[in-house]
Amino acid sequence: MADGRWACGNRKITMITFDKVTKKFPLGNIALSDISFEIDDNQFVFLVGQSGAGKTSILKMITQEIKPTSGSIIVDDFDLTDKNFSQKIDLRRKIGIIFQDFKVLVDKNVFENVAVSLKVIDADQSEIKAKVKKALELVGLSKKELVFPVQLSAGELQRVAIARAVIGDRDIIIADEPTGNLDPKTSWDIMKIFKKLEGKRTIIIATHNTDIVNSFQKRVLVLKDGKIIKDQRKGGYEL
Amino acid sequence: MKDIWTSIRRTPYQSLSAFLILFFTLFLTLILFVSLTFLYGTLNYLETKPQVTVYFQTKAPETQIFKVRDELMSSGKVLNIKYISKNDAFNIYKQLNKDNPLLLEMVSANILPPSLEIYAKKPIFLPEIAEYLKKQGDIDEVQYEKDIIDKLLVLTNTIRMSALIFFSYLILMSIIVLTTMILFKIALKESEITLLKLIGATNFYIRKPYILESLFLGITASTLSFGIFSFIVLYFNPFLQSYFKGITALSVDVFNYPLVIWPLNYVFFAIVFVSISLFGVVIASVASYIATNKYLKV
Repeated sequence: MADGRWACGNRKITMITFDKVTKKFPLGNIALSDISFEIDDNQFVFLVGQSGAGKTSILKMITQEIKPTSGSIIVDDFDLTDKNFSQKIDLRRKIGIIFQDFKVLVDKNVFENVAVSLKVIDADQSEIKAKVKKALELVGLSKKELVFPVQLSAGELQRVAIARAVIGDRDIIIADEPTGNLDPKTSWDIMKIFKKLEGKRTIIIATHNTDIVNSFQKRVLVLKDGKIIKDQRKGGYEL
Repeated sequence: MKDIWTSIRRTPYQSLSAFLILFFTLFLTLILFVSLTFLYGTLNYLETKPQVTVYFQTKAPETQIFKVRDELMSSGKVLNIKYISKNDAFNIYKQLNKDNPLLLEMVSANILPPSLEIYAKKPIFLPEIAEYLKKQGDIDEVQYEKDIIDKLLVLTNTIRMSALIFFSYLILMSIIVLTTMILFKIALKESEITLLKLIGATNFYIRKPYILESLFLGITASTLSFGIFSFIVLYFNPFLQSYFKGITALSVDVFNYPLVIWPLNYVFFAIVFVSISLFGVVIASVASYIATNKYLKV
């Protein structure tokens, strides 16, 4: 494991570190070009930029879906670029992921969809029951735990995905265009849930939604052609 | 069990296809397995039958004949030796020609040679035994059916080799077809598998339901194929009894333990059931393992 940076009180302040990270795909196109940034523990960060700017590549590198061509990535205490890195499962158990297309399990009801996040880590039934109920309360779906996805609206499906991501004490929440398939009102409802999580988890949201980014006034990393062109501590959506 | 049933219910056609492939593969395997077992049993039976008959000169003393007999018995290559004295030979002659008094009058026990009928443990020992006998004194003639023995040896080896090749082919084909069927089934769940991988599921957690379902299908298919096969065998039992009339028992060696396969018995049936179930479970598990591998590289 890599050495994390720690502040007084034994609390780690840096959760994610990208150091001179470049990603070239086999056909030669460059997704990321020599980018460096750090994200603190419990920080709320927006990744903005046009399509193809490299937002999703950053998220996929954090979850180890893709590996960088060069550079160093440290997430929590895991050095993802270590050649001997073999803790992919442990890493992913610390990360909750939310997708634009929800990726809910269509043959499982709301409760089961959320519970799957705990089942994969072999949690016991009583723990699963208690934590799922709590997560469903957070996203406002307490009364729909036995409902199947086909009966839910897009906003409700995204709530299920958020509940699945936050359950199990996952330290990092990653959301790739979480409001991309939602109408403006539902998008705001979804963002209110993220607001509730602020300060409790490290949250990284890749989005195109100008209004949301501007209104939250959180840290914004602006990407263009695989490079970070702006890093604002309390920024808005500027390309 | 509930999860397995739910999975089968949600993809009924793929499950049915996988089940039918398993069933027909196992049923065919069962027929071949039992047929080959009986063939082996029959070959083993025939292998104990080949014999060398050595005729001694009429003047040969019994002590010489017994000396040869004892040396052969101590060689470890002989199953049994039957001594036919002059008087025994004469009795056999009389029995064979009891309807022809003229022939009986012309022959007495003194002109008939004493002989040894030698049953070898394996046909491969026969030429060696014959050579040994030819070198002994007071020998008139050594007889053994060399061509038949050679053909039997060739047939045995050919069947063993063919069975090995055919079983390998059957196993390979059934795994390929079954893997393809399970792949179709899993392809519908690619997105679910990807999600599970991304939230930290182990490969075993993802594989488990597919392997369990395959095991369930494997055991069900082997049980059904065994049931149908047993019914057919028992139905044709009277025919088999007339076919194997005169053969008291057939057996095959299983790990140096002689397993009696005829007459039909519970031990043989139990071993066949366990073998076919294991075969079904192994090919179903291997196929589902290979099929899930494709989607676990996230």
